[in-house]
Amino acid sequence: MGEQQQMQPDLSFVKGVMASGGETVKKCYQCATCSVVCPLSTNDSPFPRKEMLWTQWGLAGRVSGDVDVWLCHQCGDCTKHCPRDARPGDVLAAIRINAIRYYAKPKALADVFNSPGGVVGAVIAAAVLVLIVAAVWSQVTGNAFPFPLNHEGKVEYHEFLSVIPIDAMVLPIVAWIIYVSYNGVSRFWNDISKGAGLPESFTGTYPKPSIGLLLSKYLGPAVMEILSHSRFKKCGQTAERARGHLLLLWSFIILFAVTNYVFIAEDLFHAALGLISKVTPLPLYHPVKLAANVGGIMLIAGILMVKSMRTQKTEEGVLTSAAPDWVLIWLIFAVGATGIGAEVLRLINIAPIAYPVYVLHLATIIVLFLSLPYGKFGHLIYRTTAYVFQRWADDVKAGKAGFGLEKAVGASH
Amino acid sequence: MAKIGVYIYTGDGIAEAVDVEGLIKVATKAGAAVAKSHADLYSPEGVAMVKQDIEAEGLTAISLVGMSPRYEYKTFDFPGVYIDKTGIRELVAWSHRIDPNDEKADSKKEHVQELAEDYVRMAVTKLQKAQMPTPDKLEAPNTRILVIGGGVTGMTAALEVAEAGYEVTIVERTGELGGYGMQIRKQIPVGPDYSNLINPIAPTLIEKIKSNPRITVKTSTEIARIYGAPGKYRVSLKAAGTKSEWDAPVPLTPEEKLDANGKELSAEDQKKVYAAKNEGRNDYMVEDPNAELFGAVILAAGWKPAIPAEGEYPHLAWGNPNVLTNHQFEQLAKSGKLKRPSDGKEIKTVAFVQSPGGLNDDADFPYASAVTTMVSLKQAKYVREDYPEDGKAYVLYQHMRTPGQYEYFYKGLQDDPGIFLTKGAVTAVKENGKGGLTVTVEKTLLGDNIALDVDVVVLATGMLPATKDEAVVNLAYRQGPAFRDLDLFGGYCDSNFICFPYETRRTGIYAAGPVRRTMTIEESMEDAAGAALKAIQAVKAAEEGHAVHPRTWDFDYPDFYFQRCTQCKRCTEECPFGALDDDEKGTPKPNPTRCRRCGTCMGACPERIIGFKDYNIDVVGSMIKSIEVPDDDEEKLRMVIFACENDAYPALDMAAAKGLSWSPLPRIIPVRCLGSVNVAWIKDAMSSGMDGVLLLGCKFGDDYQCHFVKGSELADRRMANVAETIKSLGMEPERVKLVQIAIDEYDKVPGVIDAFVEEIVGMGPNPFKGF
Repeated sequence: MGEQQQMQPDLSFVKGVMASGGETVKKCYQCATCSVVCPLSTNDSPFPRKEMLWTQWGLAGRVSGDVDVWLCHQCGDCTKHCPRDARPGDVLAAIRINAIRYYAKPKALADVFNSPGGVVGAVIAAAVLVLIVAAVWSQVTGNAFPFPLNHEGKVEYHEFLSVIPIDAMVLPIVAWIIYVSYNGVSRFWNDISKGAGLPESFTGTYPKPSIGLLLSKYLGPAVMEILSHSRFKKCGQTAERARGHLLLLWSFIILFAVTNYVFIAEDLFHAALGLISKVTPLPLYHPVKLAANVGGIMLIAGILMVKSMRTQKTEEGVLTSAAPDWVLIWLIFAVGATGIGAEVLRLINIAPIAYPVYVLHLATIIVLFLSLPYGKFGHLIYRTTAYVFQRWADDVKAGKAGFGLEKAVGASH
Repeated sequence: MAKIGVYIYTGDGIAEAVDVEGLIKVATKAGAAVAKSHADLYSPEGVAMVKQDIEAEGLTAISLVGMSPRYEYKTFDFPGVYIDKTGIRELVAWSHRIDPNDEKADSKKEHVQELAEDYVRMAVTKLQKAQMPTPDKLEAPNTRILVIGGGVTGMTAALEVAEAGYEVTIVERTGELGGYGMQIRKQIPVGPDYSNLINPIAPTLIEKIKSNPRITVKTSTEIARIYGAPGKYRVSLKAAGTKSEWDAPVPLTPEEKLDANGKELSAEDQKKVYAAKNEGRNDYMVEDPNAELFGAVILAAGWKPAIPAEGEYPHLAWGNPNVLTNHQFEQLAKSGKLKRPSDGKEIKTVAFVQSPGGLNDDADFPYASAVTTMVSLKQAKYVREDYPEDGKAYVLYQHMRTPGQYEYFYKGLQDDPGIFLTKGAVTAVKENGKGGLTVTVEKTLLGDNIALDVDVVVLATGMLPATKDEAVVNLAYRQGPAFRDLDLFGGYCDSNFICFPYETRRTGIYAAGPVRRTMTIEESMEDAAGAALKAIQAVKAAEEGHAVHPRTWDFDYPDFYFQRCTQCKRCTEECPFGALDDDEKGTPKPNPTRCRRCGTCMGACPERIIGFKDYNIDVVGSMIKSIEVPDDDEEKLRMVIFACENDAYPALDMAAAKGLSWSPLPRIIPVRCLGSVNVAWIKDAMSSGMDGVLLLGCKFGDDYQCHFVKGSELADRRMANVAETIKSLGMEPERVKLVQIAIDEYDKVPGVIDAFVEEIVGMGPNPFKGF
């Protein structure tokens, strides 16, 4: 008798996947058509057949340790060709939502950020928070509240909330996001290392690349792949989805860059260090402002493309969309719409509408980023991690990545 | 003497292949009063021509020489006129095409013409010898139908019979109707939607039975004996579990006929042993004056759950109180919420084991099937019904068999999150020290060997047919109370022949439901309807005097010339359907309505006293003798082929239609069954100068294809004896040969014939040729 493994199928895991968009998982009868037609599956570790079986059997541990779940882009080729209508693409999407929840802390927040009601509630809560901070800040500055005007009698958001209260509010949230994300990603890394059969040390830990090696050898290529969407574009049934998504990704990068420019120039150099004079609001011809506006338009265009492709592909039946998908789409749309809206309303100077929209803009941004380790937005960190891990694990298995197995890289150190 | 008309069809290439005028001359010379040809013989004009001749010339027998007798059998129907057909289109024109550019075209044409002329001679000879069959009608047959078994199958059969307007009686051994259908919690669906379990339907059937005035129910009753034949069965009933003087006597087994030293006992001693064995029982030929009369019987005796013997399946921990058969689990489920037998704890996890063979054998349990697979799925659902929150059921299979619409059943149950399925070999079941069991499964779809902790293990054991261990029908027949060859069919009473569902080896007794093979309730009900129709057919056949399947058009019945019977008992022993009883001396006592007209008795009879009006020793013998045998031409050897008309002959037709050809030397005579080939015909052939005889019959053995069960096998045995005779005459025994041909082997049959002809050519002519 060979080595045997004690099985404890977790019924709640099966029910969880079935309840969050994977209700077809039990229909699979293991013909493996899905793994054959999948354009992204690899020969060494084909998917998604095994994920279907593991989920049917409630093997939560195996599924959570499976990096292949994150290499799936829900192309829908498997779903289209499945003879049993088991919709593997949808099931894997549901598994991913469950995995994000599994690594989230506290889990209750995952339920909040994956449901429309929860997100609306969170946006309202964040808006209330922003209003309270602004009200308190108005006592410090002596500016009017809630509709302050600058010395030219115009709408200026700086009069409402300057960088100090915003940073005071946002930086702790960012710290929290980083903490929860790091915690989730490192547990995820451990699980997928175990699942990939990497050598386990006697203390029960798994090899990790040094930060230097990670950045120099693995993160770069993974990021380049993500920036080009070369893998997403291999999708058969839904390759068109990659276009909107790529536009959206680049808009995030541009907006991230301009936000950082403002953070460094205004918050750091002007407000904190007093090195330069006030930079905001930037004039419209300013290159950063131009980039910001282009980024904003790209964001709205990208999210609308994503939405219409998702609707179209849902109608074609190659994928099904669950609540977390729509929640994320509408949240991003709300961020973009309130951003552009706040700018336009500021320029045409309608204070009673401009300030509420600005409050909503801040609130939706807070909620969007807060949902990173909890909601579907989490695919940003987990899929990126999976891309990096796949390259690293392949090298480890091939004896090319250190820990005594390593030759080429080790010699260079 | 018949006044004969011969009509030669000239279409479909016949006119091109042969000299039709020559054939007409041969027919006239052979004794036909009228001989004509027609280019479209089977058209209304052709029929009108024949009809006119019958009226004008007073023809009494017609031979249609053209298409194979397998076609156009309804076109010509003239009351009182005997119609016969010879297929020269297939056997001559299509199978012996000659290329006009062939150098030897002329000599080949001569061969083909001689072949066609012989077929015409044989056709005329047959009409001269054959008589018009006369139906042997049973006067006032009884049309009541007896149903044995009051389960779902029996009840459905009874309802079908009653709805068709016939009286029916159900005999049920237990005190209640319903059978196993009343012992289950839920059942597999009997129609769409197939995706979930349904409540048992047996109670509804019971209500219908009770309210149907044509149905009589006798519970706690068994069959003591069934005496008689279709249309006139006399059935002696008795209280279940009791002995009766009318219990059917059991003949001696071959072992019982031997003494302690293995020598056969004398007839006297055999009688003594037989009497001792059947003490207290009346002879099988004695009529019970109080018996009930029936026309036909439907056997729906059902099945018994298989329970493994003590000590069997040690690796599956059989004997542990928590290891149950599917039947035991069903009883548990029927009695209430699932509780573990060992300690009464709730059953939250169950492993269903389909195949006991571990890594060595992937077969399911004996007598298991698709039904047991589906029962496991059904019972898995019980666990989920009782414990929807955390109940888990593992179905561990080597084969997931859910045929036809039942695929929806599989799909429906697979959808349940708490039903886990994997293929795998269950290698061990052990106590886990926590009151439950650990099941080890190897080679699973999950890619590993796995161990599962469960409360209970359920073995998907099989369904034993009721006929496996007892006769049930208790026939008062010479050949014994049970069906023949039950061992061959694993105890299933069916003749297990795909072409003849419901047919048993006893005419008038039709089996339905799990006594025939494992079946679901739905399948059993469909089966019951089929058997009900067959039973009604049998009664009608008895009334009209024709055979039942497969020769339903046949009104003839074998005649016996009893004065010359030597009581050798070959016919009574060999009749595949037990149609012949016998008296004290061993003289056969025919039961026409049991007979299926295969002629096995005719083939068996060494005294040649059995025959049909149009198919007997003389008819076929004369046909053989009518073949012209050139005794001075070594090129023109002659062989006779007896081809079974059910398999070999259609194969020849198909070969001809496909344009395949074979040697023009042999002449083919269709026979009802190789079992009907009497050695006299072989002798006739050899003595009239034939150079060889080939018998083409069906496949025999375990997977036999014979319409009459053992015909070709019996012929094979008889030919072994013939070989001895031929050898004693100084001839090669290989001149007589039997080859098995399946109906679809049309591509092989020309090769078989040519190889035989070549063999005979190699031996040279029959040394007695010309004497």
